[in-house]
Amino acid sequence: MKLSICHLYPDVLNLYGDTGNIICLKKRLEWRGIDTEVTLLPIGANADLSRFDLFFIGGGQDFEQEVLLTDLHGGKDKEILAAVEDEKVFLCICGGYQMMGQYYLTHTGQQCDYIGALKLHTVGSDVRMIGNYMFKCAEESSGSTIVGFENHSGRTYLGEGVSPLGTVLHGFGNNGEDHTEGARFKNVFGAYCHGPMLPKNPEFADLILQTALSRRYPGTVLPPLGDGLEINAHDHMADRMEKQ
Amino acid sequence: MKLKVFLAVFACKLTIKLLRLLGRGGTAIPGKIALRICPDLLFQLAKDVKCVVVTGTNGKTTSSRIIEEIYVKAEASYFANRSGANLINGITSIFIENSTLTGKPKKENAVIECDEAASKEVCRLINPAVVLVTNVFRDQLDRYGEVSGTLENILIGIKNSPRAVVCLNSDCSLTASIAEQIPNRVIFYGVDVPIYKNPVSEVSDAPHCIKCKHEYEYSYRTFGHLGGFCCPDCGYKRPEPQVSVTDILSTELSFTKVRVQVFGEDDVITINLPGGYNIYNAVGALAVSEAVGFRRMLAKDAIASFTCGFGRMEEFDLGGHSARIILVKNPAGANQVLNYLAGLSAETVFVCCLNDNSADGKDVSWVWDANFEKLADMSELIPEIYVSGIRSGDMAVRLKYAGIDEDKLRIFDDYDELIDAMKNQSLPVIIMPTYTAMMDLRAKMSTAFGGKEFWE
Repeated sequence: MKLSICHLYPDVLNLYGDTGNIICLKKRLEWRGIDTEVTLLPIGANADLSRFDLFFIGGGQDFEQEVLLTDLHGGKDKEILAAVEDEKVFLCICGGYQMMGQYYLTHTGQQCDYIGALKLHTVGSDVRMIGNYMFKCAEESSGSTIVGFENHSGRTYLGEGVSPLGTVLHGFGNNGEDHTEGARFKNVFGAYCHGPMLPKNPEFADLILQTALSRRYPGTVLPPLGDGLEINAHDHMADRMEKQ
Repeated sequence: MKLKVFLAVFACKLTIKLLRLLGRGGTAIPGKIALRICPDLLFQLAKDVKCVVVTGTNGKTTSSRIIEEIYVKAEASYFANRSGANLINGITSIFIENSTLTGKPKKENAVIECDEAASKEVCRLINPAVVLVTNVFRDQLDRYGEVSGTLENILIGIKNSPRAVVCLNSDCSLTASIAEQIPNRVIFYGVDVPIYKNPVSEVSDAPHCIKCKHEYEYSYRTFGHLGGFCCPDCGYKRPEPQVSVTDILSTELSFTKVRVQVFGEDDVITINLPGGYNIYNAVGALAVSEAVGFRRMLAKDAIASFTCGFGRMEEFDLGGHSARIILVKNPAGANQVLNYLAGLSAETVFVCCLNDNSADGKDVSWVWDANFEKLADMSELIPEIYVSGIRSGDMAVRLKYAGIDEDKLRIFDDYDELIDAMKNQSLPVIIMPTYTAMMDLRAKMSTAFGGKEFWE
């Protein structure tokens, strides 16, 4: 068995340790004897996106956004849309999450058009939502409690047909107003969760892997792993936030 | 005005005395009190002092220590903010300590390490004679934001230093870009050759041209994004340094020997600290020495004999075997420690202490950007890894996913137990703590094994 992972724009969307998600996915497959192939797709590179099982997009700096959008609108956006429709699995963090939406409205009123795979949009503000945070995933997205670190000034609002990934227990989440965090649409998972998201939240990591695996090899079930260290790190932060 | 200065200085001096009596080394509080009383106090106190300001992401403290040693060798009268109190309050405190009650300076010169974000304000107030910018790396994004923001802060600081000679790292595409935006005299310094034989692979913090956003090409790299960068599109490239390392002659456990060229003149210098990043710190200090106008021999002697700042390769004797503390703040720094470890040939115990207080960075995500996978390749030489600090849980997970066998990891919730464990084995120890973990741990280690108080 083998899963093909595509890391989109690793050259620019690589802030806040998000690459740790790739490390985590690879290791959790390796420990179960499943092969992985990770393909890096930087700006300017092209590949047939239909051959991948799982996509990862991280967060980035504003500085490179312009180059990225040019590349995105050069055709990759349509391929990504097709992959989403095809129920491929996507994990999209922070900037990558915003990019899957329809547009970003800067606080000076400029509109950047994004991929539009998910009916959601982001509005810039000059207040940063920053700090450790925690949210509870909806049942269809593992039902587990996720701990991580959020750092964003954009406020994301979900549109019709897009469910939140979870409900905020501590911190801000999508916009600091409606207690939603992240988004789930088909097999696209979006969140503001740095940390990176997966290593300390193994149940959610396995949901991502299981979804991709089931699509490629129907009927396959991931065997459990010994997650003592992961759970210890998770619980430490969950306890800390509960006490605050 | 004079009365205000007097009151502020008096209140500050008194607070420092009181804190010392209580056995505490608080360096920021006294300055804060003084600034409350007299907001432009720093300007008043600094106007007759010739200041060197050292800023940038990594290497500020070590560079400052070397520069300080040059002043010692020159027998010049100077003071410095020794304890890493590098924000405006701490810097004000040190100026007050070195002023009379009426606000007259007791020393002619100052070597001031300054936080990047604080540099715009500090430079405006003290109008430095020399500014050294070490480099700009990704660092504590929750506090500093993007690297472009850090660079902007430093640039404003220099624009607020109209008379300063500015020493810039030519190998850092971000730092070097400052030159064209300022009218000041600039001295570039750099390293002309690769430093490590087998460096860790790293994510570049600046892969794209700061001017036109095209991807850079490199003729060589030293580490991170440092090296011979060139933009094939707009032509922005590494400027030719006037002070540079032209060859790495030998890399030893406790020192490095390099060939340098200073304004066309060749020489060989010994750097009294190991580690590739200390080569940059040394050559940066050499550039400052030229900017101030010291004799070259003095700088050479200083680089060969300086001792490091606390927690920067600082060595402790655990009773027959040694422990070295190497402070880290960001992925670039951690990768340099890993490069250093990879160069060791003796068995070593590695200790990681990860904290998430505001001085460490509240977001610990950065540990995933450092290449701890390198440790798994060195597994025969590193029989055990100890993990401690507030976020030991996260650190242990990082190491597990780096491919370290879980059986090799020992987690300590308590520094006393950690210190006992280090002592009760016989291998040399390398400790990699974040800032507040280093402060706590080294205080305990100083008590147990001897060492200076941090404000000394």
